[in-house]
Amino acid sequence: MVKKYIAYSLDEALDILASKDVYIVAGGSDMMVQKKNTAGLLPKFDKDVLYVSHIDELKKVYEDKDGIHIGAGAHLSDLENNKLVPELLRKCISEVASVNIRHFATLAGNIANASPAGDTIVIDVLLDAEVVLVSKKGIRKVKAEDFVLGVRKIDRHQDELIKELIFPVHKFDKELWHKVGSRKADSISKLSFAGVYSLLGDKVKEFRCAFGSVAIKVMRSHELEKEIEGMSLSELNAQKDELIEKYSHVIAPIDDQRSNKEYRQKVAMNILAKFLDEIIKGGK
Amino acid sequence: MAKIKFNLNHKDVEVELDPSTRLIDVLREHFGLKGVKEGCGEGSCGACVVLLDGYSVNSCLLPLANVEGHEVITIEEFSKTKRFEVLKEAFADEGATQCGFCSPGMIIAGESLLSHNPHPTEEEAREALSGNLCRCTGYQSIVHAVLEASKKGEGLW
Ligand SMILES: Cc1cc2nc3c(=O)[nH]c(=O)nc-3n(C[C@H](O)[C@H](O)[C@H](O)COP(=O)(O)OP(=O)(O)OC[C@H]3O[C@@H](n4cnc5c(N)ncnc54)[C@H](O)[C@@H]3O)c2cc1C
Ligand code: FES
Ligand code: FES
Repeated sequence: MVKKYIAYSLDEALDILASKDVYIVAGGSDMMVQKKNTAGLLPKFDKDVLYVSHIDELKKVYEDKDGIHIGAGAHLSDLENNKLVPELLRKCISEVASVNIRHFATLAGNIANASPAGDTIVIDVLLDAEVVLVSKKGIRKVKAEDFVLGVRKIDRHQDELIKELIFPVHKFDKELWHKVGSRKADSISKLSFAGVYSLLGDKVKEFRCAFGSVAIKVMRSHELEKEIEGMSLSELNAQKDELIEKYSHVIAPIDDQRSNKEYRQKVAMNILAKFLDEIIKGGK
Repeated sequence: MAKIKFNLNHKDVEVELDPSTRLIDVLREHFGLKGVKEGCGEGSCGACVVLLDGYSVNSCLLPLANVEGHEVITIEEFSKTKRFEVLKEAFADEGATQCGFCSPGMIIAGESLLSHNPHPTEEEAREALSGNLCRCTGYQSIVHAVLEASKKGEGLW
């Protein structure tokens, strides 16, 4: 029979992780659905389980010289109301699942679940967040962008636990989060877009954008971002269609029950076009 | 199996069960609290919502392990309160209950909202109830009932 462990401290959790191959359960809003059984029966866990929701060390949210640290065990609803948390992330969180679920689901759970429709992953990637993993051997930091390897595949070793995510402190002139779902709340994204920019005079100083739900993982193009940065607004205007065309090759939409490829491609490019228009207008 | 202690409806309780047992099964089967309803069993309908330390949560997704040492309140206990009376009357006045299946979850979600935000806007009320589905009424009457309760129950929350 599979064993169930409840860890009350980080050390206890790391001891278990060092010697056992376990499923980690935080809030459980993904795991309990994935392991769902007939009502009244135990969830179908086919290996040992480690519950981490009681570990206080994982709940801290604070700022220091490295950035804003968001503990793996902090509930989404607490982050939504915490002024330290980057505004764009709070906006995104306020549209994840439902109020009920946000009362116990976690930010680390969202990225570790590595669903193509994981909303907060788009912001983690866009804002260059780092995932901090701990094990008995020490600490390892991985960029959010590199952490998700594919659908439900992440760069985590068997003995590691996510301790926190670190977000650099950085202000942009404008930030946008746009989630396309079938209804406003409690809907899994058909598509999501996040973008940020800053201007210096009539030039684009900083530009980033990322797409969620369009491919097996969040799509962001550092090359195209570099190409756009430094452009004057009139250059951006002149090259807009060409850039959108280039972006349409960056994203590789997938078909699933929620939406089809063509729809996703079209809507993604429309949102990008509107975002670029806003930048172009911003300078006038 | 493990011994797990928590506070249920203001009483300290201890159960010896598998820590992965869903809270909804503990409440319904072990404690006979049948006001906690199972609709979807996967977090989307809100019929199973209870208060965990005062916040609405889906008991179909909560493993017992996560409840250890915490306080759980179900509709059975909440229905003994003045706040419940106010919510119940507002639901009746607004015609916010038909078959009643969603009502325990709606009322608990309403309580969770009002206890942290006694004067919600219509949008905030709609958002707070967005994880609770109703197949009978349409949501307008339910949202209005919660807003009415917020007015009539002035000072209770
Ligand atoms: C009805 C419903 C609606 C939803 N809507 C949305 C939505 O709109 N947008 C969205 O993005 N998601 C949505 N979700 C998915 C889910 O709520 C989120 O992914 C949530 O953030 C998961 O957090 P959790 O703590 O509950 O995760 P859990 O289920 O506990 O864990 C999820 C994964 O993360 C791993 N994990 C958790 N903590 C750690 C850790 N510290 N270290 C290592 N691994 C860890 C687990 O092993 C597991 O693989 C929805 C889910 C439901 C049931
Ligand atoms: S039964 Fe729990 S949300 Fe539907
Ligand atoms: S009254 Fe029937 S589901 Fe809401």
